[in-house]
Amino acid sequence: MEKIKKRFISEIFYSILSLSSIILLILGWMYLASKRPELFPSPQETWDRLILFLEKPIRRIPLYSHVLDSLRRVGIAVLLACGFGIVLGTALGWSRLVKSTFGTIFELIRPIPPIAWVPLLTIWFGIGEFPKVLLVFIGTFAIVVVNTAAGVKMVEPLSLAVGKIFQANEFQMLKEIVLPASLPAIFAGIRTALGVGWAIVLAAEMLGAVSGTGFLITKGMSIGDTALIFICMFIIGIIGALLSVLASFIERRICPWKTDR
Amino acid sequence: MKDKRINKVEVKNLTKKFGDLLVLDNVSFKIKKGEFLCVVGPTGCGKTTFLNLLSCLCEPTSGDLLIDGEPANPKKHNLAFVFQEPSSFPWLNVEQNIQFGLDIKKTRQKDKKERVERIISLMGLEQFRNSYPHQLSVSTEQRQVIGRAFAMDPDLLLMDEPYGQMDIKMRYYLEDEVVRLWKELGTTVVFITHNIEEAVYLAERILILSNKPAKIKEEVLIDLPRPRDVADEKFVKIRKYVTDQIKWW
Ligand SMILES: Nc1ncnc2c1ncn2[C@@H]1O[C@H](COP(=O)(O)OP(=O)(O)OP(=O)(O)O)[C@@H](O)[C@H]1O
Ligand SMILES: [Mg+2]
Repeated sequence: MEKIKKRFISEIFYSILSLSSIILLILGWMYLASKRPELFPSPQETWDRLILFLEKPIRRIPLYSHVLDSLRRVGIAVLLACGFGIVLGTALGWSRLVKSTFGTIFELIRPIPPIAWVPLLTIWFGIGEFPKVLLVFIGTFAIVVVNTAAGVKMVEPLSLAVGKIFQANEFQMLKEIVLPASLPAIFAGIRTALGVGWAIVLAAEMLGAVSGTGFLITKGMSIGDTALIFICMFIIGIIGALLSVLASFIERRICPWKTDR
Repeated sequence: MKDKRINKVEVKNLTKKFGDLLVLDNVSFKIKKGEFLCVVGPTGCGKTTFLNLLSCLCEPTSGDLLIDGEPANPKKHNLAFVFQEPSSFPWLNVEQNIQFGLDIKKTRQKDKKERVERIISLMGLEQFRNSYPHQLSVSTEQRQVIGRAFAMDPDLLLMDEPYGQMDIKMRYYLEDEVVRLWKELGTTVVFITHNIEEAVYLAERILILSNKPAKIKEEVLIDLPRPRDVADEKFVKIRKYVTDQIKWW
């Protein structure tokens, strides 16, 4: 009884602590806003800007639609990256032949940061939807490939031995043993890919777009609307966190054996 | 008494080295079709290595391994292997694990269901059928692995210290079950154990291996009637004899 009471008190203590750190942050923000109002919009101003934005959308595109545009670009690109990446990653981890052919080319291209592709993609494809999706694809594909290949390489030899004893053919080995055994590694890759993809799509939209969260935030910069920039930053942060939650949710659904550990 | 059964396994001058480490040194022996063979020997002498060779999980350095008169090839023979380490698939639940081999062999759905049900009740796994391996105790997981092997109705069953983790009651029960499976199916069984009582209880013949590099130190035929009684005078005599022959400590 004594113990439970102590636990309870310490729970409350730490909750209050984290709550007060948030309050402290907001107070600091208000202080800065009062000192340099031209650089820092106050919380109240930011809130008003948000309401205004919801009532009078920029370029007649409502806020949620900007967000959905960005998310759609990331979604399509990451989906494609997963599809192709898991196939190539599995092949790379499984077959020496693939590793020494495709693997070599892949290793040569991989160190180029995705943003370095922007000029080339712009010259080739302009600033439409396709080059943005392609840029996110380039940035996330490698992540999925590398994680998948690592997972495939780390499959327990004993699991492979069991498959061999049961006379599994090569296809069954891959489908029934190698893939499920590597799923946790693959998901680690997908989770990172979503995060990185979200970052890249913002960069792509900041460099040239007519919609999307990245476009909004640069718009805020060009018209000196710091409140708008603040709103965008909040939204970008929240979406990033939600994507990570989404990845965990899907992982738990697809890998039920990883739960309640 | 001369054993008239044909040979299931023939091992001829089998040698296995890992680099410079000589593990099996020119070993030759035969296993009859339908025989129950126990292998005992000191830790690290090469028992697991022998089973790995037999199931083609690794290659012999020299010598021949014939199963049914042909070079050993797991693609041709219906063999099952219970590994020393826990070898269930973490991503499958108990039922799916037991079914794994049947899925690979594309057994008919109805057959599959029946066999899986039989194995689940045989191994007493009813309450665990939807559990994943990480939720099981080691001995329960091992029962499921044994069930997965039994489900195949193998004609060559290799078991590497399968009951090491079990409590006495479970071990006695599973010993009787493996004997029953062996009798019903005419399976050839190679059973590795450190437990001499277990070897004498199960085997028609015991192979005693020497320290590494492993050679066959002695063969002991056991023609006690079944079911055997561990307290029986003859049983105790054989058990003592085998113990004396081993004395690897
Ligand atoms: N893949 C390998 N590479 C190198 N050495 C190995 C390998 N596998 C086994 N060995 C060595 O071969 C010897 C025999 O190993 P093995 O596992 O066959 O012994 P064992 O009789 O099964 O032992 P235990 O009773 O402990 O199960 C050991 O000294 C081991 O270190
Ligand atoms: Mg061993």
